[in-house]
Amino acid sequence: MSSVSTKELIHAYVQLPGVLRENFKELRSQAKENLDNCAFPTKKDEEWRFTDLKSITSNKFESVDTGITQADLELDEYHLPEAMSSRLVFIDGNFSPSHSAIEGMPDGVIVGNINDFPEHEQLRSHLGTMTNYEDDVFVPLNDVNFQDGTFIFVPKETVIEQPIHILNVFTHRNNPHFVTPRVLFVGEMYSKATIIEEHIGLSDNVYLNVPVNEFRLYSGAHVHHARIQRDSKNASHISRPVAMLDAHAEYHSYTICLGSKLFRNEPRVIQNAEEVDFTVDGLVLIDGEQIADTHSIMDHRFSHGNSHQLHKVVVNDQAHSIFNGKIFVAKDAQKIDSFQENRNLLISDTGKVNTKPQLEIFADDVRCSHGATIGQLQDEEVFYLQSRGLTEQKSRELLVYAFALESVESMAVKSVEELLLKEVIAYTNRD
Amino acid sequence: MLEIRNLHAVVEGEELEILKGVNLTVNKGEIHAIMGPNGSGKSTLSKVVSGHPEYEVTEGTILFEGEDITEMDADERAHLGLFLAFQYPVEVPGITNKTLLREAYNTIARANEREELDPLEFEDYLVSKLEIIEMKDEFLNRSINTGFSGGEKKKNEIFQMAVLNPRLSFLDETDSGLDIDALKVVSDGVNKIASPENAIVMITHYQRLLNYIKPDFVHVMMNGKIVKSGDISLAEELEANGYDQMQKELA
Repeated sequence: MSSVSTKELIHAYVQLPGVLRENFKELRSQAKENLDNCAFPTKKDEEWRFTDLKSITSNKFESVDTGITQADLELDEYHLPEAMSSRLVFIDGNFSPSHSAIEGMPDGVIVGNINDFPEHEQLRSHLGTMTNYEDDVFVPLNDVNFQDGTFIFVPKETVIEQPIHILNVFTHRNNPHFVTPRVLFVGEMYSKATIIEEHIGLSDNVYLNVPVNEFRLYSGAHVHHARIQRDSKNASHISRPVAMLDAHAEYHSYTICLGSKLFRNEPRVIQNAEEVDFTVDGLVLIDGEQIADTHSIMDHRFSHGNSHQLHKVVVNDQAHSIFNGKIFVAKDAQKIDSFQENRNLLISDTGKVNTKPQLEIFADDVRCSHGATIGQLQDEEVFYLQSRGLTEQKSRELLVYAFALESVESMAVKSVEELLLKEVIAYTNRD
Repeated sequence: MLEIRNLHAVVEGEELEILKGVNLTVNKGEIHAIMGPNGSGKSTLSKVVSGHPEYEVTEGTILFEGEDITEMDADERAHLGLFLAFQYPVEVPGITNKTLLREAYNTIARANEREELDPLEFEDYLVSKLEIIEMKDEFLNRSINTGFSGGEKKKNEIFQMAVLNPRLSFLDETDSGLDIDALKVVSDGVNKIASPENAIVMITHYQRLLNYIKPDFVHVMMNGKIVKSGDISLAEELEANGYDQMQKELA
């Protein structure tokens, strides 16, 4: 396939109404230029060689009208009890004030729609500054098109106790459409917050979800970030979550991939000063013809950093998992302790796994370890459970459940853990 | 209770016979010991009787309570009341002892049209069995055999046996790797479980275990067959003279 312009695939450059167009004007015009100059990726690109993009390229995606509210949409079942007064809801990319609830936040905290704070100093100085993905069409696509979005600002030494739930809902629409959710999080010195970012498709229809997240953590800031992807089974989801950490900051992220036909996640964490600690964990449960691709970068630019990545994958049917985990350690970034593990469990004969750890280390006093395993359930394990009276089917389910469980237990929010347990059980019991 | 007739078995897909015509009868209330050198087929016998899919029976039958179980899956055999205490219990991270045992107990109860226990009743039932192997409550919430010492793994097998209350148990090298204290706890446990209503077959290389669990019958297995049967004096003879001597005598 010859190179295709993104424009042909995605009817981008929506005519955002006046005020939205005026907001973030510079970011948008720069992005538009990048978008015009950049071809849509193909398998000829090294970074995309294993990833079948057919679910995007076989469609043409329309933008969603702005300003549509669907106040009567029933979403109660998706609310988290821990976040009943700390919830932002976006329906097909549009902020829905009536579904959202933000109350009782500590002084100075902002949790709201990005368009309500276009002149906020922290927003202006950070939005679009961390997402330098090379030869990339997806960040610019989001830059040009995001309508509403999340802005969270946590002032110095402020702790937000309740988790903040960012709920992106995709409703039934006839034509393939694309949505560009946006999050900017700024945590000042020694602030602390928990973010649950969720993507839920309410129907089976075709859409393209292109979220971009920027998390800026100042010294000593501490963030727990869970991302749960339950998109429509015909959706494509291309994610760009970035975090930049100053000294003594801690950022722990956990991405759970359950839905969508195509999932491409490119998390990046940038160590921007000495002494940081971060996690980039993932759990992927796929079957049918799902493709789940994680290309991560743990970017150590300064000394004394700890990073940890456990990426667990279960593949059934003809599903295909791709993992490329890069660890960068810059020349003068000494005493880095980085650990990466990708564990794949293949439970069908036709599933497929590509895994590639990629360590680029230019410092000489570091400890970086990595491992990748692809395995099937062990007959001896199955027999052990079966000899206790469990059917073979039940034994296999229990073993898959046990494999996934470790990742679920990292969620830190009870209701999210319970929700994921249900999802894991549904995945293992589907027949 | 158990009747094994002329049992021949191979590793699935291979030609070499490991069991070459085993005959064994075990009645209710009896304790048997099967002794033999390494590679004699004694562990294989316990796996074949429990339904390990790695082995294929090429000839002969296994009858349990009069029913032919030769072709049954392992779980169906467990439902009938067969139990295997593994020589190398498998570690299963992420599933607690409690979860496995509740699932196992209730599955067996359902298969036998007995009443299942709800989580609270089951917890009480489990706790009541812990003293059999002198373990604390927290044992229940640990992942199956994960990070357990050799002794703890063997105790866990006996604990599972106590909970599932099988009619016939095969204990495969349950004494291997146990220090003397653990051996006492494990054999005390087995003795508490043994009753006139069930039966036990111990597989062992050494006579040591038989000092703690007294068998009614001792069988010697060599080269895939039971070559000699007797009472405890047979074990004593083996301990004194070794397997080589016996092999010579038989030849």
